[in-house]
Amino acid sequence: MSLLAVENLHTHFIARDRMHRVRTARALNGVGFTVAAGEVLGLIGETGAGKSLTALSVMGLLRAPATIVAGSIRFDGRELVGLAEQEMNRLRGNAMALVVQSPRTSLDPLTRIADQLARVHMAHRPASGQEAQARALEMLVAVGIADAASRARAWPHELSGGMAQRVLIAMALINEPRLLIADEPTTGLDVTVQAQILDLLRAQVAARHLGAMIITHDLGIVAHYCDRMAVMFAGSIVESGPVDALFAAPRHPYTRNLIDSAPDRVQLGRSKIRAGSPPDLYNLPPGCPYADRCPRAQALCSQAPPAAEFGAGHVAHCHFPEQVRAA
Amino acid sequence: MHILRLVLRRLLLALPILFGMLLFTFLLVRVGSNDPVGLLAGPTASAEEVAAIRKQLKLDQSPLVQFGEFARRVTRGDLGQSWLSGKPVWGELASRLPATLELVILGGLIGGIAGVAAGLRAAFHPNGWFDQASRVVSLAGFGMPTIFLGLVAIFVFFYLLGWAPPPMGRIDLLLTSPPTITGSYAIDSALAGDWEAARSALARLVLPVLCVAIVFAAPLIKQTRAIARDVLASDYVRYARAAGLPPAVVKSIVRRNAAVPVLTFGTTEFIALFGIASVLELIFSWGGISQFGLVAVLKGDFAVVQGYVLFMSVIAMIVFALADAVVLMIEPRAGLR
Amino acid sequence: MPIDGVRRRALALLLASPTGTIGLAIVLFFLVLALLAPLFAPYDAIAVSSENVLKGPSARFMFGTDGNGMDVFSRVVYGARYAFGIAVPVLLLGMALGVPIGLYAGYRGGWFDEITLRVMDALRVFPSIILALAIVAATGHSLFNVVVVIAVLDVPLFARVVRAEVLALRRSGLAEAALAAGNPTWRILAVHLLPNCLRGAMAQVPIRMAWAVRVTATLAFIGVGIQAPTPEWGAMIRQGSEYMISGEWWVAIFPGTALVILIIGFSMLGDGLEELLDPRSNNSSR
Repeated sequence: MSLLAVENLHTHFIARDRMHRVRTARALNGVGFTVAAGEVLGLIGETGAGKSLTALSVMGLLRAPATIVAGSIRFDGRELVGLAEQEMNRLRGNAMALVVQSPRTSLDPLTRIADQLARVHMAHRPASGQEAQARALEMLVAVGIADAASRARAWPHELSGGMAQRVLIAMALINEPRLLIADEPTTGLDVTVQAQILDLLRAQVAARHLGAMIITHDLGIVAHYCDRMAVMFAGSIVESGPVDALFAAPRHPYTRNLIDSAPDRVQLGRSKIRAGSPPDLYNLPPGCPYADRCPRAQALCSQAPPAAEFGAGHVAHCHFPEQVRAA
Repeated sequence: MHILRLVLRRLLLALPILFGMLLFTFLLVRVGSNDPVGLLAGPTASAEEVAAIRKQLKLDQSPLVQFGEFARRVTRGDLGQSWLSGKPVWGELASRLPATLELVILGGLIGGIAGVAAGLRAAFHPNGWFDQASRVVSLAGFGMPTIFLGLVAIFVFFYLLGWAPPPMGRIDLLLTSPPTITGSYAIDSALAGDWEAARSALARLVLPVLCVAIVFAAPLIKQTRAIARDVLASDYVRYARAAGLPPAVVKSIVRRNAAVPVLTFGTTEFIALFGIASVLELIFSWGGISQFGLVAVLKGDFAVVQGYVLFMSVIAMIVFALADAVVLMIEPRAGLR
Repeated sequence: MPIDGVRRRALALLLASPTGTIGLAIVLFFLVLALLAPLFAPYDAIAVSSENVLKGPSARFMFGTDGNGMDVFSRVVYGARYAFGIAVPVLLLGMALGVPIGLYAGYRGGWFDEITLRVMDALRVFPSIILALAIVAATGHSLFNVVVVIAVLDVPLFARVVRAEVLALRRSGLAEAALAAGNPTWRILAVHLLPNCLRGAMAQVPIRMAWAVRVTATLAFIGVGIQAPTPEWGAMIRQGSEYMISGEWWVAIFPGTALVILIIGFSMLGDGLEELLDPRSNNSSR
């Protein structure tokens, strides 16, 4: 059974605009994917595709006016949609952990980092202050922070971007989670630091047999660090499957476009997605969300596309999936 | 004694502003052709007497010399003599300061605690009944000019309900004020064992302190709420939630991070309380320094006005310096922790 | 940008905010009172009548009469004239001085900016009522001086707001583009920067109006600037305060209530405008 199984997730923004009319932005439309223990899923898409929102939905961190209107999110078989806030709080930072981008603004400016780590630990474990401090130190060492003992007393604003990100990872791992979601964990970091952070993540996943989902807009990250990938566009998963399979033979026109426009040797930090005009979430076209931009769109595309299977879990949602090119 | 050094440093930095205030008060008097001599000499003075007074006050010298003289005397602590009473300005001001401090400090404490607590609660439960209610209260507090607030308070609590004593000063006219130790009638009476006087002084404190508290709380409620909402929307609070921290811990994070901006805002409002106090002192016949300055302005006693403006500037400097020092102690980003 | 469309939308937005709408209604109500005072006031506001001294509210004198026999209701109505008559010039003067200073300080920077900042800081340090009082006392107790002094107190605020907007605009490169196109300084300030900065300044207007009305009344209460028998609300409260303790409450309460309502009206209008300009503001359903 999958560690995390998301099925048919619909998240909408329901708000009043400046003229006080009710407007609904359909941000996530039937998103579905799975994450198994010990594997890394890469969720890739351009800005505004709904990647971060997916992470927030899974973690139960949506704030008004965003809300889950339909779908199921099962963690270890347990349904999370509609779960009481108190129960969700017990899972967050505990069995399910989140790592975000902009690490320096995500740390409490008025608390030393070891104290913050200890705080997260004590929230979920019956540990004493001393025990929590010891564990915090342990984690700082585990994430590769040099001179951990003295760095532990540092303030967040004294950390570099890379170090702050390591602290966030330490915070995520401190309570031995089963699922780790990393939302753009390396954006804004130096390329060498990026590689270090991602290596660290991969190592931890292997060592602790976690299930992980890395959200990114960088194909390089997906290519080098993920086992499976899911491509997102305008709130829908358009294609998913093993990384190798998708890179070798992308079936959805959007995926094909992505991979084609990436350089031959897909490298970290060089394979950003060049986005076209963003889809209007308030007025999505019926049927396939990519229809407006797709060069191969036809009349049939105004109807919801079927899930076309290509073996080994490779699925593309398209009426006219690509034929494999001659090698 | 790190803090002391910080406070002193801030005070030193404030010296140019102090100099500016000095210049300003000096010009203030010269600008409006107000002739102190007329006031001091009285209407029946002869020409020689007038000339003698003028010479004594050095008013026959050039403005630059006058300013130099003025600055020199001020640094020695001599603020001149009141044009009306002839008594040294410093003494007149200093003796009345405790009365005003009573109002401002007590009112500030009550209003501050109530205002911040209400603002925080409103921020944690937005659009709930408490939020709406406190928004109304805050609006009303903003809207009520102090003059009216004081009068209505007297009308309701003294005239209609008879709960409060008459607004005639800090202690019952038939009782004697206690020997001065702290300057506060209530405290000094208690210290001297005169319980009747203490009770009378306390009773008279209630209404004016209440008015000060309300005026102080109104903007604080609104601003604290706004600051707390901003903190609640911040990345780190969101991340604290993502880490599953219990709501109580999240709230304490919010409170601590809102503390500095609230303090900064509150300090400015606190200084304004001295101005508010002047009106209240007038209404309640309090006899504090603000009322004294006010009356001096009205009567044209510019020696007192000068001294009062300088006095107030120094007080403001000290308050700001203290607040800054506290901020520096709390805020690690200032680099001093 | 089509001005008409913008105005209509702005109005719709304001009306969408209940606070703003009520505030606007209150302000307009008093404005009408002020403009059409003779229509609403049954009696002459300064007509002394020794036989009608201190009569309570009745059908004949809706708000009663004061110590000189003058009808309080009529005086309250005419008082609206003084409220607006002082607050509006104060505001215009404050903006006329503050906005250019802010524009220039933000645009030029340098020593002018430094000095303005220091002076503004120094002014901020001092309780404004006392400052206003001191200046008026020094320069003479005339209405004109009162207006000028209160306006001067508004100047630092407008300057600061406009300066902040100019700094933000500078970062966006708007000024550089205009400069590159060969515009002289004054033109850049007036045509390119000013319209964008006005938005921030306009947001302050209702609050400053509330403040001006409040300070005027306070000064009048203390006895500065307004002479009896002028029907200004602050002066009326002053007169009425003597009678509060002896029971003739109407003399002070009615003008005071009018004062409070108008100030609250301006405050609500200001709140409504705040919501309009910053939809993400703290009053949203977050």
